[in-house]
Amino acid sequence: MALAVETQNRIGRGVEALAKGWAILGGTLLVALSVMTVVSIIGRALTGYGLGPVPGDYELVANGCAIAIFAFLPWCQLRRGHVTVDIFINRLSSRAVAVFGCLGDALVLVVSAVIAHQLYLGWGEKFPYGSDALRDALAMGYRPFFAETTYELQIPVWMPYTAALIGAVLMVIVAAYTVWRSLNWVIDGQEPQL
Amino acid sequence: MTGLALALSAFGCMLVGIFLRVPIALAMGLTGFFGSWYVIGVPTGALAQLKSLSYETFSNPGLAIVPLFLLMGQFATRTGMSAALFEAASDWLGHRKGGVAMASVGACAGFGAICGSSLATASTMGQVALPEMRARGYSDALSTGVLAAGGTLGILIPPSIILVIYAIMAEQNIVKMFMAALIPGVLAALGYIITVAIYVRVRPNSASTAPRIPYGRRLKTLKATWPVFVIFGLTMGGIIADWNWVRPGTQALFTPNEAAAFGAAATGLYGVLTGKLDWEGFKLTILQTAKATGMIFAILLGAEVLKGFLALTRAPDLLADWVTTQGFLPITVLLVMLLCYLIFGCVMDSLSMILLTVPIFLPIIEVLDFGMTAEETAIWFGILALIVVEVGLITPPVGMNLFIINGVARDIPMGQTYRGVTPFVLSDLVRVGILVAFPALTLWLVGIAF
Repeated sequence: MALAVETQNRIGRGVEALAKGWAILGGTLLVALSVMTVVSIIGRALTGYGLGPVPGDYELVANGCAIAIFAFLPWCQLRRGHVTVDIFINRLSSRAVAVFGCLGDALVLVVSAVIAHQLYLGWGEKFPYGSDALRDALAMGYRPFFAETTYELQIPVWMPYTAALIGAVLMVIVAAYTVWRSLNWVIDGQEPQL
Repeated sequence: MTGLALALSAFGCMLVGIFLRVPIALAMGLTGFFGSWYVIGVPTGALAQLKSLSYETFSNPGLAIVPLFLLMGQFATRTGMSAALFEAASDWLGHRKGGVAMASVGACAGFGAICGSSLATASTMGQVALPEMRARGYSDALSTGVLAAGGTLGILIPPSIILVIYAIMAEQNIVKMFMAALIPGVLAALGYIITVAIYVRVRPNSASTAPRIPYGRRLKTLKATWPVFVIFGLTMGGIIADWNWVRPGTQALFTPNEAAAFGAAATGLYGVLTGKLDWEGFKLTILQTAKATGMIFAILLGAEVLKGFLALTRAPDLLADWVTTQGFLPITVLLVMLLCYLIFGCVMDSLSMILLTVPIFLPIIEVLDFGMTAEETAIWFGILALIVVEVGLITPPVGMNLFIINGVARDIPMGQTYRGVTPFVLSDLVRVGILVAFPALTLWLVGIAF
């Protein structure tokens, strides 16, 4: 007896593919940023020879890292990567352990939904487009007078925010799935090794 | 309720949550959120700060070094550098009694120089060195104990993720923190090697000896480790050296972020060029990095929310005031704090402990007079705290390194590992004593380099 194990597994494969794909994209971005930084260092070292550092390398790394980290979080949740203290719980039965794991996953779902919602509002404050009616309908808040941009390259901040938001939304989807998954573990009476 | 009482009860609730298996990041964040709500009276402020807090924490330029160093460590793990290090070390030391165990310590130290995480060091060296030691008839206790302890060198020898985070919290220069960690890191490796030497004298059955390896072969295997030396030399050397003596006025070669990016790119490139890193390996590297990074930044975000609440209660200042008016000896206060780390280290992970305690402990340490400048005190305390939280990684019942080594060889009972690691824990404690007694060991290199 469990809650639609077949469906859960099928959806699980889809969720895993999404989280994995987005995490790998984020990681590739991270690798690209390191290569860009190396190019920038070489350029700076050869300043006397007509080359120079990559403009805005510093802010590219900072904002790129934020995007990558948002992309990593869903994968981390899916693999139960977050640190928990199990030592006291482990004295209980394996079903009780699974119950607390499920409660943890449910909390993650609530918090990640709140964070994604607030990030959406923050994104709305930086996104200078859309008619008032449309913004109202999407609960995006007032349209900003200026598009906030980064310091050196003048990149509108809403762009990296959008990429981050995708990760945050994916995190909510993954969290919802993990609640379902751990609920089935509770019914099953134990958690498998991940 | 006074600020102090409020903070204390909030901490109590948080610990209960943590012990009930709530992810630590969540427990910290929720405590901070509800605490701020309680102090202000409405939740709007705490909610509104979340509009940008997550993005700003993750895009903090000072923290960009963390995913980059993690990526570098994962690349190094995938590209067989650990195996090369171990082979070279065991060729040089293997003929001594307990030599392969000493070689594991040396290889861990070498790997720690390109990897900023204890768990990664323990797991990769465990896979390389554990089968070798068992094949040569080393006892299960010694071989698992020495590897669990050796893994902690990953975090002590720079680069080190936790040092980076401590440096940001304590507003200290990362490069100075790395310099300060160097001598304690080498002392740690020496201490472990001496421990092995004593161990095999007390229990002669626990290790074997092997024939000497000729110098020609030793040099050959040593040469195979060049990528490690080159990458460590360029990343650490590049951020430490300012080339003023070559061209006056020039800056250091790299900023810390650039050094980490360079290290990641260089280890990755080495893997691609030697054919050890294919697309599958690349994906695995990324996913491992993703998991470790996600875990760390979730905790960082939770700590950020908690920090806002602590500031509202003014608890750290109040506590610092209270400690100074009581007139405790500074050294007593320090020892009590280190003891706290040791006790909590048995059940909690090191990053969470640093993030939870530093905002409270550091203001106290800073108002006490240790006969050093404020900066020196902060650096010294950071290194001491780092070492004692790392002891937590190898103390039962919840030593993460012990679990990792045990996961490599599931047939060895956990009790053997506990027994084997005990002498190394003692060696750690002796080292902490030495570093407390002689702050110069930590601060000497910092003074020379700056």
